[in-house]
Amino acid sequence: MTSPVGAIDGPPAKPALTSRWDSPALRRFRRHRLAVFGAVTILVLTLACIVGPFLLPFTDTFIDIRQRFAPPLSGAHVLGTDQLGRDMLARLLMAGRISLAVGFAAMAISMVIGVCVGLVAGYYGGAIGAVLMRFVDAMLCFPSIFLLLAVSAFIHPGVETIILLIAFTAWMEVARIVEAQIKALRERDFAVAAEALGASDARVMIRELLPNAIAPIVVAATLNVAHAILAESYISFLGYGIQPPTPSWGNMLDNAQGYLTSAPWLAMLPGAMITLAVTSFNFIGDGLRDALDPRTDAR
Amino acid sequence: MSELDRNAKRSRLSAPSLRRREFLVLGAGALLGARSAGAETPPPPSGRRGQVIVGLSQEPTVFNPLMPGIEVDESVWMNVFNALWNPDPEGNLIPELAAEVPTVENGGISDGGLAWKVRLREGVVWHDGEPFTAEDVKFSLELINSPGFRARTRQGHSLVRDIVVKGPHEISWRMEKAYSPYLALLANTFIVPKHILGKASDPNTAAFNNAPVGTGPFRWSERVAGDHISFVANERYFLPGPYLEKAVFKYIPDLTALYAQFRTGQVDLTIGQGIPANFYEEAVKLPGRKVVANPSGNLEIIMPNLELPALSEKAVRQALYHAINKQAIIDVIYYGLHRPTESFAPKESWAYNPNLPPHSYDIAKANKLLDDAGWKRGARGIRQKNGVPLEFALSTTTGTAIREQCQQLLMQDWQQIGASMKINNMPAAVIWGEFYVRSKFQALLVGTAFRTVTDPDPATRFSSESIPVKGGSGGNYMQYVNPEVDRLLAAGQTSFDRQERTKIYHRLQEIVRDELPILPIFQYAPVEGYKEGLVGFRPNINARQNTWNMSKWYWAR
Amino acid sequence: MGSFLARRVGQAGVLLLIVSIIGFSILHLAPGGPLSQFAATGDMTQEDLDRVARQMGLDRPLPVQYAEWLWRLLQGDWGVSYRDKQPVLRVIGSHLGATLELMLSSTLLAMMIGCWIGVLGAIRRYSVFDTLATVGAMIALSIPTFWFGLVVIYVFSVGLGWLPAGNRYTIGDGSWSDRLHHLIGPCIVLALVSTAVWSRYMRSSMLDVINQDYIRTARSKGIPERRILFQHAVRNALLPMITIAGLHLPTLLSGALVTETVFTWPGMGRLFLDSIGYRDYPTVMGILMFTAMLVLLGSLLADLLYGVADPRIRTA
Repeated sequence: MTSPVGAIDGPPAKPALTSRWDSPALRRFRRHRLAVFGAVTILVLTLACIVGPFLLPFTDTFIDIRQRFAPPLSGAHVLGTDQLGRDMLARLLMAGRISLAVGFAAMAISMVIGVCVGLVAGYYGGAIGAVLMRFVDAMLCFPSIFLLLAVSAFIHPGVETIILLIAFTAWMEVARIVEAQIKALRERDFAVAAEALGASDARVMIRELLPNAIAPIVVAATLNVAHAILAESYISFLGYGIQPPTPSWGNMLDNAQGYLTSAPWLAMLPGAMITLAVTSFNFIGDGLRDALDPRTDAR
Repeated sequence: MSELDRNAKRSRLSAPSLRRREFLVLGAGALLGARSAGAETPPPPSGRRGQVIVGLSQEPTVFNPLMPGIEVDESVWMNVFNALWNPDPEGNLIPELAAEVPTVENGGISDGGLAWKVRLREGVVWHDGEPFTAEDVKFSLELINSPGFRARTRQGHSLVRDIVVKGPHEISWRMEKAYSPYLALLANTFIVPKHILGKASDPNTAAFNNAPVGTGPFRWSERVAGDHISFVANERYFLPGPYLEKAVFKYIPDLTALYAQFRTGQVDLTIGQGIPANFYEEAVKLPGRKVVANPSGNLEIIMPNLELPALSEKAVRQALYHAINKQAIIDVIYYGLHRPTESFAPKESWAYNPNLPPHSYDIAKANKLLDDAGWKRGARGIRQKNGVPLEFALSTTTGTAIREQCQQLLMQDWQQIGASMKINNMPAAVIWGEFYVRSKFQALLVGTAFRTVTDPDPATRFSSESIPVKGGSGGNYMQYVNPEVDRLLAAGQTSFDRQERTKIYHRLQEIVRDELPILPIFQYAPVEGYKEGLVGFRPNINARQNTWNMSKWYWAR
Repeated sequence: MGSFLARRVGQAGVLLLIVSIIGFSILHLAPGGPLSQFAATGDMTQEDLDRVARQMGLDRPLPVQYAEWLWRLLQGDWGVSYRDKQPVLRVIGSHLGATLELMLSSTLLAMMIGCWIGVLGAIRRYSVFDTLATVGAMIALSIPTFWFGLVVIYVFSVGLGWLPAGNRYTIGDGSWSDRLHHLIGPCIVLALVSTAVWSRYMRSSMLDVINQDYIRTARSKGIPERRILFQHAVRNALLPMITIAGLHLPTLLSGALVTETVFTWPGMGRLFLDSIGYRDYPTVMGILMFTAMLVLLGSLLADLLYGVADPRIRTA
């Protein structure tokens, strides 16, 4: 993964101690201003969601009927209150914990499933590969909304199940990407050599092949987080979302629909948070794609 | 039951579908909503003019009125077909296809309620010109009981024996046992044409089911699936009207979108689930629109599963009831539109008992009730008794935002008395499946009614023989068992004397108020709206939907 | 070519079988059923509900129901909708027009604008325009559609009164201008996302082409830059778009579900949502099979068209 352009452009690398911070890929990423913006935003958001609720005088579930619909920047509530008089800022931050956790967890699970299926299918090929990939094809034939709706009917809506639900509908693309990569890589010399040396299948797959296919996987993972956060809001919109009183950006946005004219901040704030978070992940994904693809010429 | 949120999306708000109503104007609506009456009312036009577009939040899809359908389908049935008689807003049965309503006094019902005789109206014709006769009534009743036909309900009809056509306009039958609610059930049984449906090889799939022919004020015109149904005036209707040339039922699946279209004037009326409560204040100020809250017979209740150890004890239910801040729920979440109630009967019913002890929001009293009953506070402040923690899940259909607010208020209030409630909402198709009918829920927050069509008889909801999960047939899903209640219900069904029945139902309401097999919160008054200039709109708490008198509507010129 | 087609059709048959088994299982094993809603009304007693379930054959074992459904489908009988009481194909047909109208118009709009943005972005790579287009596309891809739709309704319909708040046409009108007027709102909302997608694809495709030898050769020959770009580069950059259009075909049906709900557009998305909510098994299965067929047809068409357009692929 060396790029001649990167090597010339970048600061001179210390030959012995090529620290990770100096890798050409990272340098390319850092030059991708939007990606850096995205990464910083996500970092700040995550920190705020983890730390923020401890610093606020209100909890996200405290109902104060007399204070309902207080507009932002008026009185004790910085971002106003919602239809039950709960502090919007506290709810947005708690919702952020849930929404980001859903995004990351769903991504992780879908990656694990997708990578496993893709690895096995790509490595063994033949009948196993064909069966697995036909299954992937069949799953991709369903409109993802159908899978979401149908499966949500089985399960009890909760944070864990929403995560599984989203992961269950998002692993197929990953499997396809990994399968294609592995299929191409396993014919290469280093894989053949490792096999000839008697390495076990698992070892070849995980130690030799997977690291070489990591670039597209990382990109897909980032985009999957974005997809999962958005999916959570759609599930909420369709009425199968995370149950109250737990807030999520999706269910806050969904519940705000009736107040679009009378209390627009109820819809604007979570809508903006979703858009901000998803955009950031998309920027990161875009930046990673450029950075990890050695063919991309740097600016 | 209102919760006919066929899919959760559609009923983001918990308003019920409408059964019975009476005209009532609330709050600011009084000024705008007052029905132009008396001298101001312009006279109906001499001919048929104009059209009306009614916005519905559910799509009517069942057009054979004897097959399983939901309340919105009845909007079609009421206008294309006629029943023998129909209840008016005051609860009186008004003859339609019958010449008069049979009673014990006029001899129509005799032999202690076992023999029924009905004289039919003469000169009525079907939309295709064929005359309507007693044979059609006989055919309809027999079709309901025929084994292969997917009849909606055989409740009452299964008791009918020996139907005899005594002449083209007279019919009689015998009942297996005296059953007074049958009058109300017949008001909801629409008569279908024998000369069409009788010839169909399979009435379940007959072409008639998609192009109904009736005797009603409007004739079927066309249906654009998923969008609208249009009707044209029946020129030969046997009662006054219709005054409109055309009527359209427009399906708009989302209540917020429905309101937006009412606001922009794309629909002339919005009925049924109507205008979401949170838009009420804005809606009454709309120029050129009349917006009114019309009481329905549906109640918002908490339905506990009485077999759940935590909820089986009367003291627990009473304590939970005292800890419900009804006024906050009604005033804050529902914008003061609905009226608190203590009874399972609507206030407008002749059987309503106005002397039930009023509810008070009293946390201290609730705590004392639980202390006295031996429920001790344990870990995390949750009470326990004999190892049973005071914990349960409250379910409703997902996507009903206003009900979810209500659940969260309840949660906070009940926490104060050491009761832990969790929210466990599910999609409509799941809730109303086995979960409901096999009593698998712990507690439900629902809008529902406890009566037989418009008759006050609640036997299917409270009788111990109506518990499906115990082999019964009916809708006693909370599994309420009380021998005195059973006795009263049986007595109420066999009596045709209103005074006697009133006494029975008053006692019944007292027992239910005390034992709380259901925790009543309020009686619904959904907000409906129509354009100024539409004359004749008259809410009817005894009709399923307020299109019941569409034949009397016209536009003021 | 013939054997290629035969193999693809055979594969498609296997896929459809898998799809039908997965779909049927999920649908029938999910709690609730087509009679749930009648239980909710309280008008039908348990006895009534059990009787109707028996009459509809819903009490039979699932494999039997599946086998019967499949056997009928193979004979061309898609079943009768529980909800609409009409043959499933007719039900689908009556909703297809509305969806195609919306999706084709929005796709067309998105393709035109998206390709234009993509081309300009590639030519002036890293310019202010390109950066703005990139940021704009990312944001467009990140906005929840239903939220955007609601905002459009509240601003342009309720607030300004410029657009109708939904529906496909005014009942009783239905003229071209009326239909067009109703189309604007949902079309813009749907086009927003796909414009972003198209502009991204077009940009990278254009970049690939610009860097290729023959463009450099053309440049060195002194052909005017405008002509190079618009006659040679754009034309070649559009080639891969064919594949994308083919793969895009199925989303023409399911992609509009949310937008159709917000704008009360009587199309396939709404039908699907209604049918799922109702547990209208024949219709849901019908839509699933129909969509799956479109997915397979779309990818086949994409491959075929691409093969025709670029002969190198055919042998590969």
